[in-house]
Amino acid sequence: MQELPPTRKLTIVAKDPGLRLGGDDGPMAFVQVDLPAERLSWGPTGYRIKVVDYNATEQRLYFAEQVYEDRRGNLIDPFAPARGETLFDKAYQQRLLEDPNFHSQNAYAIAMRTLGLFERALGRRVAWSSGGHQLHIAPHAFAQANAFYSEPDRALLFGYFHDLSDEPVFTCLSHDIVAHETTHALLDGLRSRFTEPSGPDQAAFHEGFADVIALLSIFSLEPVVAAAIGQDGQLIKDDQTIALVDGAKLSPGAIKASILLGLAQEAGTALGDGRRTALRQSVEMTPKKAKALRDGRDEHDRGEVFVAAMMTVFVQLWSNRVALLGTFGKDQYNLGSVVEEGAKVAGHLLNMSIRALDYCPPTDIDFGQYLAALLTADRELVPDDAHHYRRDLVNVFRDYGITVPAGTCDADGCWPRYPHLGKLVYSRSNFAAMMRSRDEFFRFLWENRDDDRLNISERAYTEVLSIASASRIGPDGIALDETVCQYVQRFDMFGAEFKALLGAERPGGLSTTDGYTAYGGGVVILDQYGQVKYHIANRLLDPARQLARAEYLVDMGLIGVADEPDRLRFAMAHFVRMGA
Amino acid sequence: MPIPTHATLFAYQVGFGDCFLLRIGYDDGSSRHVLFDFGTTSLPEWAAKDHMAQVAKDIAARCGGTLDMLVATHRHADHISGFATSGNPAKPGSGDIIAELNPKLVVQPWTEAPAAPVDWLGPQGLTRAQGFARHVNALLSMQATAGNALEFLKRAGKRVPAMVADQIAFIGEDNLSNASAINNLQAMGKRRRAEFVFHGCKLDVTEELPGVTIDILGPPTLRQSDSIRTQTSVNKDEFWMLAAKRMGDAAGLGKTKSLFPNAKSRPGNRMLVEYRWLQRRLDAAHAELTLNLVRALDDQMNNTSVIMVMRFAGKTLLFPGDAQWENWQYALQSPLAALLDDVDLYKVGHHGSRNATPKSMWKQLAKKGPASKPGRLTSVISTKQGKHGSESKHTEVPRRTLMTEISKQSDLHTTENLASSALCEEIRI
Repeated sequence: MQELPPTRKLTIVAKDPGLRLGGDDGPMAFVQVDLPAERLSWGPTGYRIKVVDYNATEQRLYFAEQVYEDRRGNLIDPFAPARGETLFDKAYQQRLLEDPNFHSQNAYAIAMRTLGLFERALGRRVAWSSGGHQLHIAPHAFAQANAFYSEPDRALLFGYFHDLSDEPVFTCLSHDIVAHETTHALLDGLRSRFTEPSGPDQAAFHEGFADVIALLSIFSLEPVVAAAIGQDGQLIKDDQTIALVDGAKLSPGAIKASILLGLAQEAGTALGDGRRTALRQSVEMTPKKAKALRDGRDEHDRGEVFVAAMMTVFVQLWSNRVALLGTFGKDQYNLGSVVEEGAKVAGHLLNMSIRALDYCPPTDIDFGQYLAALLTADRELVPDDAHHYRRDLVNVFRDYGITVPAGTCDADGCWPRYPHLGKLVYSRSNFAAMMRSRDEFFRFLWENRDDDRLNISERAYTEVLSIASASRIGPDGIALDETVCQYVQRFDMFGAEFKALLGAERPGGLSTTDGYTAYGGGVVILDQYGQVKYHIANRLLDPARQLARAEYLVDMGLIGVADEPDRLRFAMAHFVRMGA
Repeated sequence: MPIPTHATLFAYQVGFGDCFLLRIGYDDGSSRHVLFDFGTTSLPEWAAKDHMAQVAKDIAARCGGTLDMLVATHRHADHISGFATSGNPAKPGSGDIIAELNPKLVVQPWTEAPAAPVDWLGPQGLTRAQGFARHVNALLSMQATAGNALEFLKRAGKRVPAMVADQIAFIGEDNLSNASAINNLQAMGKRRRAEFVFHGCKLDVTEELPGVTIDILGPPTLRQSDSIRTQTSVNKDEFWMLAAKRMGDAAGLGKTKSLFPNAKSRPGNRMLVEYRWLQRRLDAAHAELTLNLVRALDDQMNNTSVIMVMRFAGKTLLFPGDAQWENWQYALQSPLAALLDDVDLYKVGHHGSRNATPKSMWKQLAKKGPASKPGRLTSVISTKQGKHGSESKHTEVPRRTLMTEISKQSDLHTTENLASSALCEEIRI
């Protein structure tokens, strides 16, 4: 029997239809991307994504008419250029843009690519938070300038609108928007408590993280990046043409000012969508401005500080690596190699950023804790910081006012290893069963709940949220196996009990009779022997954190708000950024 | 020149709306009268059909046939609908009765001016006239958006959940253009004196209200509000012009051709089974988004409210219309904010909504305190429950926690406590 191919190719719009290659009159950037091979049904509908092309404004369903395999069972790309056409033919591109089925394919492919990023980084399947297997995508959900992840609808909803010259603008054709919304869904699957009201950083984290993933993932689309940098000359050698770029464009400042801004500008200004300014903001934000924003309460401002810090690290590392490349003639570089180095750095930062989630406490995340998780995740896999990724991260984040939590991290800024190994009782639980059963894992936690072991409150209601095994290949080629277990604890209490249960004075604005739920929780990471390697927790009994959270909830008027999933939670975040 | 010595505020029962008549008494025994707003979007259930006309007649009687100043804080129906005229001389409307009181001075926010007011600052990078014209267009667009939202409701029928539909209708109607009332306000202004005010502008009322000092804290001009906007890339005016167009799209107005004319499709009422689960949810999401857009529009319009501080006879009165955070934000960081320290009477903003009494503003009212405090703050609110926002999302108006705080810290008068036979409550200052 013939071996089935593991991947397939599908055509997408790289970046968005606003990006033109070689100037305003040039063709749009279409690319074929590699995706996991699977037998698709109408929609396309696959094992993780189900595209439903229903338009609520027109009250109309557009039929899915594409087949994704030929009669012999070979997987095909129905929108590949026909014989005699290329990806850059204008007639071909126009035909695709007018076909709603192509829009469906575009959204499907970018969502699957983003899912692939997460699965590769974590070495496991990543579930949607709903428990369902397929996430819905509505590529033309409604005529409104909005696109968002809706947890209760198990869906990504993409709107469209008409610009001032009455041309339709489709959010489902923007790589950034599709990747951003898919990241919300994936992050919600990995850390379901991050959507809850907690503090300004947690509210900002979803937005900032989704921006970082969407922005960094552009750099693997190499033709797009090459077009944004622009060619300054060429060298013909042995029948090979090498595109060259001036070295002056490749200092950190110049990369920010020209390349990143170039990408930001060409990203379809017609969108008129404040969210599109994430890249621009990250370029324009100075450390001084960042510090002021971090002192404020605005969650979007805080999220942008995080994005700016990450993009600054990216630019710095990219520029460092370019400096090591050989030059041609008068300070010119091989454009192809420059782009490749960018893709490598972006790829590494993406992997780190995603892996870091495993080392984040499941409740009340802040950017300092995320930084510690980022450093820990990287050190686990790459103990030697030869390319200075971690050094640069620490320095740049410090410039932007983000430092690891004081007193809880080691000299590298990483979470410390679990210190009380000898005290833990393993004999009452079975490692093999712990990998599969939340009950068995809870039994392990419960046996070791004492203060000098895992220090888990026995009065609170405790629940194991998930157990995941992660397997990654380190640079030495050896697999790193870990088991990641998340648990949360809660006190359902009255304001009057604040001091007694949480150890801090009750904040003004929380009355004695107000209902209040306090959360704590942690991740327990087991090594390949089933021994506790890390215990990263935000404990219930943490007076300073509990007080800060309560004060934030009082300030935001969120005391007693029902914590049911809100369909428009992410929609509103975007809406606010549009200036409404 | 007579000197003001005391005052009385008449808070009229207009359901969900505002109508306040201020009588200022002078040492020579004379008195002057100021009317702040006159509108409603939902009268009390017991109110007679001609309730608004009765209120107008009561105002006429109390002010002895002449208004010295009329303030229309912003153009929402719940603040100006009473100024609408009937167009029928035999059966005068409430607006006709007010027009006969021939107000000596009509005060409105700069956003209502026919042309850019004197000393008014346009946005950076545009001439005064250009900036002003753009803003006027944005206001028109906002009202068009409200109309489109109502049109959307009509077309969508049962696809919109009843609770969402009620709220879209209520807010949408509040934002509809009320041409008759606006024309009447303009005509009254033209007859004697009209002032279109903005933060920090001079308003001299020696003629109309001798001995009274007036300061205008809001609304800020476009340049003033630019200076505090963190995201300068976002242009609110442009947003509203686009929003109106998009809402038109969303309501399916003027769009006869479909989005993909050549694509095979079928109507939503003949949906394939594999898509039905999401279809219902998409319809609901669409309606909720529409409501949110209408809400944002409502907030934006509230922010055009005049925030006025009046001082006389050692008392300070604060009338902020429905100003919300963005309007207050500019006032609070200006030197005029110091005036708030001495406020004796506060007209609670936006019928008691959370956003209209910002914490930092409330903090500054130094005369609030427990009942035992001498010279304690007085608060007045005109409101009606169950019309605006939802309790589960903590956006209900009036906001329960805010009302608790205000009633604890000040002497609170609310039109909700008025007996059904009473047209207004008299509050002595």
